[in-house]
Amino acid sequence: MILCPACHNQELVGALFCSACGAQLTYQTKSPTETVQYPEDMLATAVSLEPRDVPPAQAATARAGLKIVETGLVIPLEGSEEFTIGRVSGTQPILPDIDLTPYRAYEGGVSRLHATIRVTSDSVSLSDLGSANGTMVNGEKIPSYEPFPLSAGDIIALGKFQIEIIIRS
Amino acid sequence: MFPPADYYAVLGLPRDANPEEIRRAYHNSARRLHPDVNIESGDTELFLDIQRAYDVLSDPELRSKYDRTLPPLESPRQVVDVHLLYSRTTLPIINEPQLVYALINLTAPLSDLPTENSALNVCLVLDRSTSMQGERMDTVKNTAIEVVRQLRTGDILSIVTFSDRAEVIVPANRRLDRTSIETKVQMIQSGGATEIFRGLEAGYLEIRENHNKKSINHIILLTDGRTYGDEAHCLKIADQAAARGVGISCLGIGEEWNDYFLDNLASRTGGTSTYIARASDIRRFLKEKFYGLSRTYADNVRFDFHAGKDIEIRYAFRLAPEISPLETFSPIPLGSIPMEGCLSVVFEFLVPPLPPNTNQIALASGQIAMEIPALASPTSVTRLRLFCAVQSEPSPEPPPTGMLNALSRLTLYRIQERASVELARGNVKGATQHLNNLATNLFAQGQVELARSVLREAENIQRGDSISEAGKKNIKYGTRALLLPASADAFTSIDDFEVGET
Repeated sequence: MILCPACHNQELVGALFCSACGAQLTYQTKSPTETVQYPEDMLATAVSLEPRDVPPAQAATARAGLKIVETGLVIPLEGSEEFTIGRVSGTQPILPDIDLTPYRAYEGGVSRLHATIRVTSDSVSLSDLGSANGTMVNGEKIPSYEPFPLSAGDIIALGKFQIEIIIRS
Repeated sequence: MFPPADYYAVLGLPRDANPEEIRRAYHNSARRLHPDVNIESGDTELFLDIQRAYDVLSDPELRSKYDRTLPPLESPRQVVDVHLLYSRTTLPIINEPQLVYALINLTAPLSDLPTENSALNVCLVLDRSTSMQGERMDTVKNTAIEVVRQLRTGDILSIVTFSDRAEVIVPANRRLDRTSIETKVQMIQSGGATEIFRGLEAGYLEIRENHNKKSINHIILLTDGRTYGDEAHCLKIADQAAARGVGISCLGIGEEWNDYFLDNLASRTGGTSTYIARASDIRRFLKEKFYGLSRTYADNVRFDFHAGKDIEIRYAFRLAPEISPLETFSPIPLGSIPMEGCLSVVFEFLVPPLPPNTNQIALASGQIAMEIPALASPTSVTRLRLFCAVQSEPSPEPPPTGMLNALSRLTLYRIQERASVELARGNVKGATQHLNNLATNLFAQGQVELARSVLREAENIQRGDSISEAGKKNIKYGTRALLLPASADAFTSIDDFEVGET
C-alpha cells in the first residue's frame, strides 16, 4: 500500500491519484512548483470565499508595489531585491516572500512558487517559475524561467489571479 | 433480415480463431440471446444463427469444409489504428495487490476515411407524458422536424411516442415522406405517465425491421421522467439490442429522470446518457447526437476478452467520443469510433500479488470486433492482448503524460461517484468530505462555478437537507464534461452539418 501524502488515505501500489482527495501520487520531476497535491487544510482557503481582512499596505518607501486587482490592495516590494510570489502550502516547507493565500490565490490558480519579481534601481522584471497555470503580462503568456521586463501599470496574471504592477518613477 | 452469410462475423471472431475462442464467443452471445431470456420472438432467429455458426465452427471437419467455401482473406488491411498506453509497462514482484491502467485509443485510418456520412437507421423514442407539455415538447417537435429535413436518401427514421402506452407514429421506411412525417410530428399531444419499456420495445421493433450492418442502427430515447417497475424489462431489451448491434442513447431532460437507470441502459449497448438541464438545450443535444451518428466510422465496437488469471477489471471508462462509464465484464460494448477523433477507453486492472520468477503477466486477451458500414464486409475483428512485463525490482518509470491527463480528471469524476455512494448509504460525513475534496480540486483547476455548486450541495447535506436532484445531476454531468477535450470543434461541425444538408 502507498499513503497519500496529502490526506493519508491508503492506495494500492500503482494508483496514480488519491481516490479520496484527488492528489497526484507520483511526483513529476519537471517542476518543483507543479500543483500536484491538494492538502486538506487548503480546503479552508477554498471554502472561505470572502476575502479576509488584510492589514493596510504601507507603501510609502517602496520603489515598487503589487496591486491586487480584485481588491485594490497594494503590497509593497521592499527590503530585498528579489521576491518570490506564491502561496503557502500546509505540507510543504515552501515560503514565498509574497504569500497570496489570503487573497484567494488558490482559486485563481496560483502555484506554490509561481514567479519571482526582481526590483533594481533601474528596472523591474518578472520570471515565471514553471508554474502549472502560467504567467501572463497584459494578456500575453511569458516564457518560463526568463526575466520579462515590466513597466508601470502592466497587468500580471498568475493563472487567473490578476495583479497590477506599480512603479515609482 | 439477418443473413448468416459469415459464421465468423456472427460470432465476432477473426478467421484464425482457435477452438477456445470460438467456444467463448458462443457462450457470450448465447447467454444474452437464449430464447428463455428473450422478450421479442424475432430474436430467436438470431440465437439460431449463433447456434448454427457454433455447430459448424466448433467441428474441425465442418469448419474446414466451410472455410473452403469462403472467399480468400482480403490482404490484411489496417481497418482501424490501435494505440495502447499503460501507466506502467513493468510491474514489480510484490506481495500485495497492485493497480495498472491501460488506455486504448482506436482511430479510423486517415488514408482510408469514407467520403460520405454513414447511412442511418435511427428510431426516435419520445416521451410524451404530461410533464413534457409546453416548451419541452415544442422544442422536441421542432428539432425532430429539422432532423427529418436533413436526412439523406437511404437514411431510415422511425418515430415512437410513449406515455403509459406506445404509438409508432412514423414506421421505419426507406422512402422518407418528409411532409407526412412533419404533419405527424406536429400532431403529437402530451399526456399520461412515463413507461419507458413501452416506448423502448416499440422502438426496438422498428429498428429491427431494417437492421443492417451497412447502417448505424440506433435508438435515441428522450425522456424527462422516471419509469417505475419496468426497469428490468428495459434492461433486457438493451441486452438484446446490444447483441444485435443496436445502440441506445438516452437524453434526460430536467431533473426528474433516473440517471443511474438510463446510464445502465445505455452503457449496456455502448451508448451514453446525457443530461439536458434546460428545454432550450434540447435542440443542440439532439442535433449533436444525429451528427455524431452520421459521422460514425465503426459502430458496435466491443471488446470480447478473458482476463488473466486472478486479474480483475475494477473500472472501465470511455473518455471519447462520448463520456461514459463502461461495463467491466466481457464482452464490453465500447461504443463507436468517429470518423474524426478517436474512441478512447481506460481500464483499471487489479493485479494479485505476483509469485517470484514471473516474467510477464497477461491482463486481458481477446479481440475487438466492430461493424464498419463503409466496408464491403462490415464486420471487422482485431486481436488485442494487454500485458505487462514483470521484474523483481521496481523500475522508477514516470507514468506517461497521456495517462496522467486521462486519469487526473477521471479521478474527480470518481470522487463524485464515491460521494453519491456514501450519500446513498446515509454517510453524510463521508459524502461531505468527498464533495469538499472535489470542490478543492475543481477550484484548483479553475472550475469555479462547478466548485461552488459542489460546495452548496455539501452544505445542504451537512445541514441535514437532502441533496437536490438538479444539484446531483449538475455535479455528475459537470465533472463528466470536464473529461471532454476542451474545444469548440463539436459545435462548428454541427453548423457544417446544417449547411451541408440543405
